[in-house]
Amino acid sequence: MRINGVAIDDSFAEAFPMKATRIVITAHERTWALHAATSATGLATSVIACGCEAGIERELAPGETPDGRPGVAILLFAVSGKELAKQVERRVGQCVMTCPTTAVFAGLLEGEPVPLGRNLRFFGDGWQGSKVIQGVRYWRVPVMDGEFVAQESTPVIKGVGGGNLLLLARDTDAALAGASAAVQAMRAVPGVIMPFPGGVVRSGSKVGSRYAAVVASTNDAFCPSLIGLSPRSELDEDVRCVLEIVIDGLAEADVAAAMRAGIAAVVARGAAAGITRISAGNYGGKLGPFHFRLHALAAQGEAP
Amino acid sequence: MRHTLVLRGTPTLRIDARSIVPAALCALGREEVLRLPLPHGRENVPLGEWFEVSSQAGDDASPWLRLEGDLARFDGLGTGMAAGILEVQGSVGDSVGLAMAGGTLRVDGSAGVLAGAALRGGWLEIAGDVGDFAAGCLPGESEGMRGGTLCVHGRAGDRLADRMRRGTVVVHGDTGDFLGSRMVAGTVALGGRCGAHPGWAMRRGSLVFADGAPPPPSTFVPVHSQAEVIWQLLARDLARFGGRFAELPRRPLTRWVGDLAVQGKGEWLVPG
Repeated sequence: MRINGVAIDDSFAEAFPMKATRIVITAHERTWALHAATSATGLATSVIACGCEAGIERELAPGETPDGRPGVAILLFAVSGKELAKQVERRVGQCVMTCPTTAVFAGLLEGEPVPLGRNLRFFGDGWQGSKVIQGVRYWRVPVMDGEFVAQESTPVIKGVGGGNLLLLARDTDAALAGASAAVQAMRAVPGVIMPFPGGVVRSGSKVGSRYAAVVASTNDAFCPSLIGLSPRSELDEDVRCVLEIVIDGLAEADVAAAMRAGIAAVVARGAAAGITRISAGNYGGKLGPFHFRLHALAAQGEAP
Repeated sequence: MRHTLVLRGTPTLRIDARSIVPAALCALGREEVLRLPLPHGRENVPLGEWFEVSSQAGDDASPWLRLEGDLARFDGLGTGMAAGILEVQGSVGDSVGLAMAGGTLRVDGSAGVLAGAALRGGWLEIAGDVGDFAAGCLPGESEGMRGGTLCVHGRAGDRLADRMRRGTVVVHGDTGDFLGSRMVAGTVALGGRCGAHPGWAMRRGSLVFADGAPPPPSTFVPVHSQAEVIWQLLARDLARFGGRFAELPRRPLTRWVGDLAVQGKGEWLVPG
């Protein structure tokens, strides 16, 4: 399939079930909510070594938050509920509770609850208190700027991690511009995050390595420097730069919507803008239950 | 089965009406309801002696029961009620909604003492006044109301929310002495004025004075730091009760904590 001159591979992104939650961080000013959210979602690009994948979903207007203050919604994904609970507690405790004026709330209504403020309350050293409002418990921990308010728990649901797009470009400038445009379009989709820096990853990986201690290694099939060297290379000589966008979503439909938005943004720029081909990473369909076929997601096609 | 019970006349003595709960009566046919024994003094009198009963077959999702008349001598209406709707067109006696765990109980008139005592859940709404010890505890128990919502549109008597443990009490009118005495936790919001010694020996919990608070005793201290987050959460919840509470989220807050004579983690929230 080719749209606007951009070739779209007859391939699919293979994604996996993950445990996910949404947390709402509010603060006295938007800036401080963003500081807390940025900090809490730091070092959270990949579960390979970060424990979780996390990112800012969107900013929230005062009218959208429980306490009427500016807020930020963040999403966190992990391979298990236990690991996610650990990450939530650690990140909220170190990055949100520490940030001036912040409060933290659950951003989902239903799911298996994991502690949010339930254990952080002990920071109060006996001075903490709680308030149950409409059946929801909020912990109030005295801190030096007043009190830190944290909802008792946050629901965890089954999410989808590992949706992806591979953008193959003729040079670095074109790849960066196209990937940025795609990420910008995908950020407008609710329920998803792109956890890598700027939403883009250049070190796409494959499972395993020739070294026993390494669980993931470079995706040599899409490394332009290995054209003619790696027997698995899927690139031709016109490709000089490949960037990947990884998508985690609260639901399969969210990931599909984000991929659809990303593809649309790239093809709207056309092949003349430098991204000549779109592909996706998969493991032959044997590992992940969620398959996002690029041709099904592309809005319209023309004969190759 | 939907039943409507219309009182024929005022009983001579007080009637123990604890068995009048929607789930129990809706499971019965009209004839069985008429034969339901109600303790009256030392004897049991069939319900049909006191009430006209009209019944309708229905497949309501939750049990529904309506009482009409001055039921001021009927005590314990809705005791232990866990589900359904009980509507009373008139006043009721003592201990209405005693240990209620769920459902909705609305009284169009006033209630006697111990209204909502030992309440555990559900919605209890009194259009008129309530007597002493509303939302309090049963004799011998260490904790009063443990959940749910008690909404009083009129006045409440003394010892409102004594030893209250959890839940929300909203009174639009005035209250008597010892409001929230020995409170363990929960929220009491007052739209009118209160009598002497509010918050006496309260350990935790919140008293919201929407119409201004009396001077706090020396065992309460002012807190000047921000508590805007919890205030907004609470004020927005209370605003749904309307009246003096509707504007709470837009009013600035003054906060006092006490009673230092006991645990000292209770609070008075006084919007300006």
